[in-house]
Amino acid sequence: MKFTIDWLNEFVNTDGFSPQELADHLTMLGLEVETVSSLYQELAPIRTALIVSAQPHPDADSLSLCQVAVGEENLQIVCGAPNARAGLVTAIALPGTTLPGGVKIKKSKVRGVESFGMLCSEQELGFSGAHSGIMELPAGTPSGQSLVHALGLDTTLVEVDLTPNRSDCASVIGIAREIAGAIRRPLQLSIEKAVIDKGAASFSVDIESSELCPRYCARLLTGITVAPSPWWLRKRLLSIGLRPINNVVDITNLVMMEYGQPLHAFDFTALAGQKIVVRQAHEHELDFTTLDGVVRKLDPDMLLICDGQKPVAIAGVMGGLNSEVSDNSTAILLESACFNPVSIRKTARKLNLSSEASYRFERGVDPGGCVNALERAVQLLSDLAGGTVVIGGGDQYGGQRPLKSLTLRISRASQLLGMALDASQITFVLCAIGFRCKEKDADTLWVGVPSFRVDVEREIDLIEEVARLIGYNTLPTSLPTVQMSYPEQEKSRSIKAEIGRLLVGIGYSEAINYSFTTDKHLRWLGLAEDDPRCHCLRLLNPLSEEQSVMRTMLLPGLLENVERNINFQKNSVKLFEIGKVFIPRGKNEQPEEKNRLAMVISGNRFGEASPYHYQPAIVDFLDAKGAVEYLLQGLRLHGVSACPPLSLVQPEPSLVEPFVVPTQVLGIQAGENQNIGMVATIQPAVLRKFGIKQAVFYCELDLEALCQLDAVVKNFTELPVLPAVHRDIAMLVPEFVSAGSMVAAVLAMQEPLVERCVIFDVYQGDSLQQGCKSVALSVSYRSAQKTLTEKNVEKVHVKIIKELGSQFEGILREG
Amino acid sequence: MEQTIVRLRDEATQQLTQISNAADLEEFRIRYLGRKGLFGTIMRELGTVSAEERPRLGQLANSVKAAIEDLFAEKQTALAGDTRTKKGQGSIDISLPGRYPEQGRLHPVTQIMNEVCAIFEALGFSVAEGPDVEQDHYNFEALNIPAHHPARDMHDSFYVSESILLRTHTSPMQARIMEACQPPLRVIAPGKVYRCDSDITHTPMFHQVEGFLVDTKVSFADLKGVLTIFTQKMFAKDLALRFRPSFFPFTEPSAEVDIACVICGGAGCRVCKQTGWLEILGAGMIDPEVFRMVGYDPEVYSGFAFGLGIERIAMLKYGINDIRLYYENDLRFLSQF
Repeated sequence: MKFTIDWLNEFVNTDGFSPQELADHLTMLGLEVETVSSLYQELAPIRTALIVSAQPHPDADSLSLCQVAVGEENLQIVCGAPNARAGLVTAIALPGTTLPGGVKIKKSKVRGVESFGMLCSEQELGFSGAHSGIMELPAGTPSGQSLVHALGLDTTLVEVDLTPNRSDCASVIGIAREIAGAIRRPLQLSIEKAVIDKGAASFSVDIESSELCPRYCARLLTGITVAPSPWWLRKRLLSIGLRPINNVVDITNLVMMEYGQPLHAFDFTALAGQKIVVRQAHEHELDFTTLDGVVRKLDPDMLLICDGQKPVAIAGVMGGLNSEVSDNSTAILLESACFNPVSIRKTARKLNLSSEASYRFERGVDPGGCVNALERAVQLLSDLAGGTVVIGGGDQYGGQRPLKSLTLRISRASQLLGMALDASQITFVLCAIGFRCKEKDADTLWVGVPSFRVDVEREIDLIEEVARLIGYNTLPTSLPTVQMSYPEQEKSRSIKAEIGRLLVGIGYSEAINYSFTTDKHLRWLGLAEDDPRCHCLRLLNPLSEEQSVMRTMLLPGLLENVERNINFQKNSVKLFEIGKVFIPRGKNEQPEEKNRLAMVISGNRFGEASPYHYQPAIVDFLDAKGAVEYLLQGLRLHGVSACPPLSLVQPEPSLVEPFVVPTQVLGIQAGENQNIGMVATIQPAVLRKFGIKQAVFYCELDLEALCQLDAVVKNFTELPVLPAVHRDIAMLVPEFVSAGSMVAAVLAMQEPLVERCVIFDVYQGDSLQQGCKSVALSVSYRSAQKTLTEKNVEKVHVKIIKELGSQFEGILREG
Repeated sequence: MEQTIVRLRDEATQQLTQISNAADLEEFRIRYLGRKGLFGTIMRELGTVSAEERPRLGQLANSVKAAIEDLFAEKQTALAGDTRTKKGQGSIDISLPGRYPEQGRLHPVTQIMNEVCAIFEALGFSVAEGPDVEQDHYNFEALNIPAHHPARDMHDSFYVSESILLRTHTSPMQARIMEACQPPLRVIAPGKVYRCDSDITHTPMFHQVEGFLVDTKVSFADLKGVLTIFTQKMFAKDLALRFRPSFFPFTEPSAEVDIACVICGGAGCRVCKQTGWLEILGAGMIDPEVFRMVGYDPEVYSGFAFGLGIERIAMLKYGINDIRLYYENDLRFLSQF
């Protein structure tokens, strides 16, 4: 809602208050002011000028040579306008001025004659489309003045961001009422309780459903001369950004802005049968051409204004081309009506057509105010367009309801607002904006709700009014007294937080990607058509194909992030994301939402760490595996490999994902065989599709499954008091033997003295027999009963060497 | 005996001051402080002293030894830290970078979310998370936003079917939790929300935290109190804030909360559009209609609810100027927080 301060002043005297102070009042009343701005600042350098004399240009018939007075100064101007004549006061742009269209005015020579500026048309100044001549200002306007000032345009524009409930404030009067209440000054209305004399109307009004059209008023004017509006009216509309058209249209717009009541003018001669029928569209009525020349598809829910034969307007949305007021119209039927908000909203939505009128009707206009607005417009039409008002008119008010009267309990208001209120205080603030209050009993007020407050229907609405009018910042501040209770937290929250802490500690940063993505990515990953992850929940109205389905995996988003970072020269990427994936269920059912964790690592192992200490090294599969092991151990869930039930195992070949390198993937299992994730090397071919040319390693975990796992039972074991004996084994084995299986074999022997067995070197090289590698293990022996000697362990150690030798065709390396 | 101890002290102190390299220092350690060193000898000799003298001399010997050990340690540190000494054992260039592995960062949205949740958790609120893909019923109807209500204009929704959509706010959790639990309730519900809107100030997905408190006799003054605590903990202790009337279909009275602009301090700037105030959250007393729909008696219970946008708070706290940066996951961005 836009209005100017001078317009506001017609309804409430705001002398002594600056525009900013008024704006602050409105904002604190819940009418949030978006902007307060001085208008026409771009026209500030334009001056008024009096043409003293106008002679034909010696060398050009169409030009005239004008002597122009701008205050004290006299200038010679060459002008091409036909209306340039002596005695005319017009607008001048002096050299150095830039016009709203961007044209910069310079001193120039036109056909050999010097010209010291330009006389301007309304179009050049951005006021209207009029370009047939230079602007004509009222005679007697002093020259040399600022044009903006001379035109009375030096006012301030205020723009209010209205909440949907306050349709009453989509009008200058509505705003003025709030201001009047706030600054304790009277609201000045010229028309308050107009009535239409219904006698002997020359047309009839029929409403099929008062539910859809509670009220329809209309009046007829004849002898109208359609012409441009006078300057003051055009100025009003221009100041709030509306384009003046002609006196009839401008008047309906002006009154709508003042009263909040949309009006519509029909060319009466176009109305068949001299009647108005308000009804829903008939089945056979398919198309209708609106004022803007667009053919609209009708449907039977839409409310229409019809004459005796045909539709002439889509009620509350837009008039029809067939009954438009033209320059030749002389008889005009003026409509001021009230329509059902839901019906108008549905129609406007279906037609994808929103107008100033539909905006107001959707939010609800005051059925009690139809006639006041109509009478204001009728007065203006007779004053400004020479119209003769035909006695009588239509006023069908089938939807009339008694004025709302609500009860307000003072104790209730006091309790809800946390402030002791009394009847006089409440009465004072409510009456200031048009409510009427009467004491019912000591604790209760009868409150009469004015018809324009269509939003006030319940006691709570009144309590809000009271709070708003007293001022939210005047209300006290306290803290609730509540019963103490222990807030239970979901386990997933603490696990998520812990994962974040752990991963950040080893250099992973957290990513958040959009929940919607494109299913193209899933094809890039090589997932089979029938893979359940390819069945995505699809948005009906996506913003783009790139954001059209709900994700079923986190990996694609992270790969996009890797690509982006590499593009910006961040070649070392460690990212993780914790987020939901969405698995569709039945149609019209909410999908299953599952929390997942995914990690990617690529580039230099040490990233941003000092290269002085950490020699750059490219990450490999074991970095990803290590991150997972670190994470799972850190979470203190039943740990990895060493402590069942969580383990990293090679998946069945049939279960290997198509986007991973089959020899570089481990499944993460809980218990016997519950798959809860994996760690893998991504296929280079897949990476290329995402535009990545370096190796990327990936891990994913099902967070829901993790949350089901038990935490490690923290149980103290006595610290050993006796020393351990360490013995190393270096063994030459065929290269296909995995080092991990050798450790597993040692532990599987379950020798009581063996405390620990770790790999400390794996070596392959020219000095070794071809097809072989050397694996070095370190075994720790310890007994709780006695200090072991080399001799004590020798027996077991030999046994281990023998076992490894036979199981893995291993040969003990000497020295 | 006493004289021996004192002499030893003077001699050791004197020698220590003259030592200028690690090798000499090691020699000193063996001579005086080693197991077979001079102080060791003194300690052993104490055994031969008379029982009356032993405590006093023992104490003296111990304190002298301790003093020398301190001086020794000082000397050791001095030699190790002196970069001008010739390269060798115990010398280090302390201007070299410290040795620590790379660090990651939590996403700024997560950091702010954690901060917000922690404040309310400290006030006894529990945390609940709800579905991102929500029924029209919980997203709108149960919040007193019927079909064809103009308030739906504020929520451009992504639909996945006729009655299922991506939630446009975290408020559905109010209805879900009230339906399932009885008051008193103190809950916050953080999560992702979605609106069909994408430009320099809007991303189609963003994060909100919804909170509400329901009990008997909860007042608007209580709402002001709790949100004052929140904003001051979140931003600054003496931060000015104001409550101004607004409209949400599921609260009445409804309020918007502004804080004094954290960029210009209230003088007016581009960020606060010259008003000196920044809107940071919406709130209000839960509408009786919402209570009625979940089966609470609005005459018995009252409560307040509030919602805030995490990205906006992060933008204000960290000075981020483009909302789209949040979802590009550029490490140059993430590593700043």
